[in-house]
Amino acid sequence: MTVDPNAATQGFPSPDPSHRRPRATRYLVPALVAGAVAVVLGVYGKVHDPQGTTFNLVGFSSTGAVKSWLATVSIGFAVVQFVSALMMYGKLPGPGWASVLHRWSGRIAFLVAIPVAVHCLYALGYQTYEPRVLWHSLLGCFFFGAFSAKMLLLRSERLPGWMLPVVGGLVFAALTVVWLTSALWFFRTFGVTT
Amino acid sequence: MKRSGPLFTLLAGLLLALFMLSLNATTGTRSSAAGDESSPDVASPSAAPTSPSPTPGTRSPSPGPSRTTPPNGDYAGRTDDDSSAVAVSLRDGKAIAYFCDGRDQESWLKGDVEDDGSMRLTSQKGAVLTGELNGKRISGTVDMGQREYGFTADKALKPSGLYRATASVRGAAVDGGWIVLPGGRQVGILKRDGTPSAAPRIDPETGAVTVDGQQLTARPVTP
Repeated sequence: MTVDPNAATQGFPSPDPSHRRPRATRYLVPALVAGAVAVVLGVYGKVHDPQGTTFNLVGFSSTGAVKSWLATVSIGFAVVQFVSALMMYGKLPGPGWASVLHRWSGRIAFLVAIPVAVHCLYALGYQTYEPRVLWHSLLGCFFFGAFSAKMLLLRSERLPGWMLPVVGGLVFAALTVVWLTSALWFFRTFGVTT
Repeated sequence: MKRSGPLFTLLAGLLLALFMLSLNATTGTRSSAAGDESSPDVASPSAAPTSPSPTPGTRSPSPGPSRTTPPNGDYAGRTDDDSSAVAVSLRDGKAIAYFCDGRDQESWLKGDVEDDGSMRLTSQKGAVLTGELNGKRISGTVDMGQREYGFTADKALKPSGLYRATASVRGAAVDGGWIVLPGGRQVGILKRDGTPSAAPRIDPETGAVTVDGQQLTARPVTP
């Protein structure tokens, strides 16, 4: 019944690092992927010679209008994201299927944003000629990086509680600014047209 | 138990992006699914309902059935990347065009318009505009040397069009060029002794503009 103090302390250090290492990679991998995605998009947009043209959707007057509406659909689902996240965290009363709603509204918002981003990067590139355009380019790249991080973080368990809300909030904030500096600008400049 | 849903989401996004990219790359440049690409100027607030529709998807066949010289008129619009403005003025088979980014890049280009509505205009410094008049719109590209811009310019009614003012203000040679877009936006560059800067607004009705305290008049440009 004698407790050997040395034995106890010896037991501790060994599991500790083995616990800590996967924990570090848990953040490291999403962070690296996020950085890589954002940088690759930005570099592609900068280096690639903007093509200026891509196909249009039937029924719309211009690519700008198509993109603005797709972006608006995306931001609409992003708002659903925000509300359903509040429900999942119990900040708002919500139905049991709030998490399903969150998952699918997020997927739709993301997938709808893809064609817009492809057009931006392919046809226009990463531009900096005025503040609106600079912020749009910067945060557009940041958004896809942050979104990748969010998706990868979802896969790991035992995250600190604040982690997902913060990253999700960043994703939402980035998308909002990206929308404000593009679609809203487009609608204000050219009118709400299709 | 690791959730794989998020991975599938990312993967789906990646695949969609690659799909769109390959679609873009294979549909080539100008003549794609629907007539006009990325010309937000078309959608100027009032213009939306007026533009008589060449139905999207079908390339409107060559405009007038029997035409010898392309009609006179002014055309104004923006580049596809929305960074610059382009205006073209046609008179009796001749054309003059102005390309301007509103900051430090500009070019005046001149040339002839062929009977089929195609044109190749050149500037003194080697910039080249190739365009085609198609109904009420000129579309084409401007090669500014270090970059090539696609553009579409719609038929512009006064006061839209291109303007120029040259004068001597306080010993400096002032040379200003403006494009007034449909909807009233202006893009212009003012050179003082060859140094470009953004131009002050002109009054589109009268062409009046104040440069360094002196009032000048910008006049419509025709070939």
